[in-house]
Order: sequence, then structure tokens, then C-alpha cells
Amino acid sequence: MAVTNDGRVLVGLLKGFDQMINLVVSECVERVYAEDEGVEMVDLGLYFIRGDNVAVVGLVDKESDENIQFATVRAKPLSEVSY
Amino acid sequence: MLFYSFFKTLVGQSVTVELKNDLSVTGTLVSVDQFLNIKLDNIRVENEEDCPHMMSVKNCFIRGSVVRYVRLPVAAVDTALLQDAARRETQQSTTSGRAA
Amino acid sequence: MADTLTATPAPAVPVPSTSVQEPLDLVRLSLDENIYVKLRGDRELRGKLHAFDQHLNMVLGDVEENVTTVELNAESQEEVVRTTTRKIDMLFVRGDGVILVSPPARAV
Repeated sequence: MAVTNDGRVLVGLLKGFDQMINLVVSECVERVYAEDEGVEMVDLGLYFIRGDNVAVVGLVDKESDENIQFATVRAKPLSEVSY
Repeated sequence: MLFYSFFKTLVGQSVTVELKNDLSVTGTLVSVDQFLNIKLDNIRVENEEDCPHMMSVKNCFIRGSVVRYVRLPVAAVDTALLQDAARRETQQSTTSGRAA
Repeated sequence: MADTLTATPAPAVPVPSTSVQEPLDLVRLSLDENIYVKLRGDRELRGKLHAFDQHLNMVLGDVEENVTTVELNAESQEEVVRTTTRKIDMLFVRGDGVILVSPPARAV
């Protein structure tokens, strides 16, 4: 899972990365959080994310991830990173 | 380099990293590099209700440039040593700056 | 002009650690003192300076943080300025957010 500087949450298989934290993510899905509806999953396919825009990279625990009822999750989108 | 060394002494401690997107992540400091990128284990997000985004994430990497603060355990910080190191480091960098 | 600038002789004797030769010397003299730090995002810190580097990364102790937020009152359309304060025992501050550092004499 990666959180970008504009507050997007991208989940997929990390295929590669480098010193600058450029990421290559396959089967990438954007999870769009909203306060008035459940999480929308947007299939994006194979993605290259430039390192500058990466805020957080985390390992998703598959088991607990599968137990989340995303249709019922309501949340504000994450804020963007502001300097 | 001072803070890189400093954070290396804090590996294994529990810290809270406050990001510039207002996310606060608490976890065990696993490692740090020269850019002050940070790796945390057993993470917990403050304000879990507002931030379910990382619910299934157990450990993470945080890019140094998006860090605003790191809240540290007082007991793990030797302030006298830190002040000495800061004095030495600035003295060093100014004298080398003049020589160059 | 450039020549006269570069030709400034380096002091023969090491500069005593109490003199202020360059801006960061002022910060060095504030070590172990309470300082005021103004940060991006309408944040202010007061705390004891334990360490800093050339980026103005800092470690502060016994910190009080003030965050000023402006909210728009939906009914009256008035702007409400709010300050939230919190205390943090030991805090690392990343230098890229630092706007100014004020030494103890002027810290209130």
C-alpha cells in the first residue's frame, strides 16, 4: 500500500523500487474514501509512481485486509502533504 | 549526519511520527537512513476512527520529507550528549566552511 | 567585488564559541535554553533546544505547541480563529518546516 503526497491510497503488488523510492506496482487499485459512501475501488493496472510523490509505503496484512467491509467504511480522504 | 546517528540510537524504541498530511503513526522504530526515511513496525494510527486507511497495515516506510515531527520517549534521549554533539557538529561545519 | 568577498581573511585564532559570526551561531548559543520556533502551517513551538543541524532539524524538550486554525462559521460567515495547544515531552522537528528561531531573550 502506498499513500501519495496528494492523499491517494494505492494498493497493489510491489514489483520494484529504487533509491528515490520510485515504485512499480502491479494490479494497482486506488481506494477512494468518502464520508457519504463506501470505499470505491478503481482498477488502475500496472503503475509507476514517482518517488517524490510517495509519502508512506506499508505492507498490507492480507488476512486482516480481507476482513474489512469496505462498502461500510466511511472516512474523509487523507489530506495532501503540505510543506 | 547528527540526527541520522541520533535516530540510529533510538532503534527499537516506540515513537510517534507526525506527517505533513496530519497523519500520526505510532510504532517501533526499525530503521532510519541518511534522508531520515523511517521504518516502523507494529504500527497504530492515531485517530483510528477518522483514519481507517491504514487499518490492515502492520509495518510501514515513511519518506523523510513528509515528516513534520517525531515524538520521542524522553527516557531514551541523552540530552547532554545531544547538546555536545550539536555543538561539535556546528563548530566542525563552520570551520570546514571557512577553509573551503 | 567577488574578489573582495572571497579575500576576507580567515581569523588566525579560532573564533571563540561565544561570538556570533553567522546566523547558526545564534542558534548554537541557544542550546540548552528555551527557544521560540515559528513553523509552516501556523504552528509555533516553545521548548528547550537540545540539538540542531544545518537544515534546522531540531530536538526540543518540554515543548508547547500552538496551532492556529481559522474556521468559517457556517451561519454567520464569520471567521473564527482558534488556537490549540498541546505539550510534548521530547520532539524531533524536521527543518524544512522551520520559518524562524528566536533565542531565549525574546522568547516569552
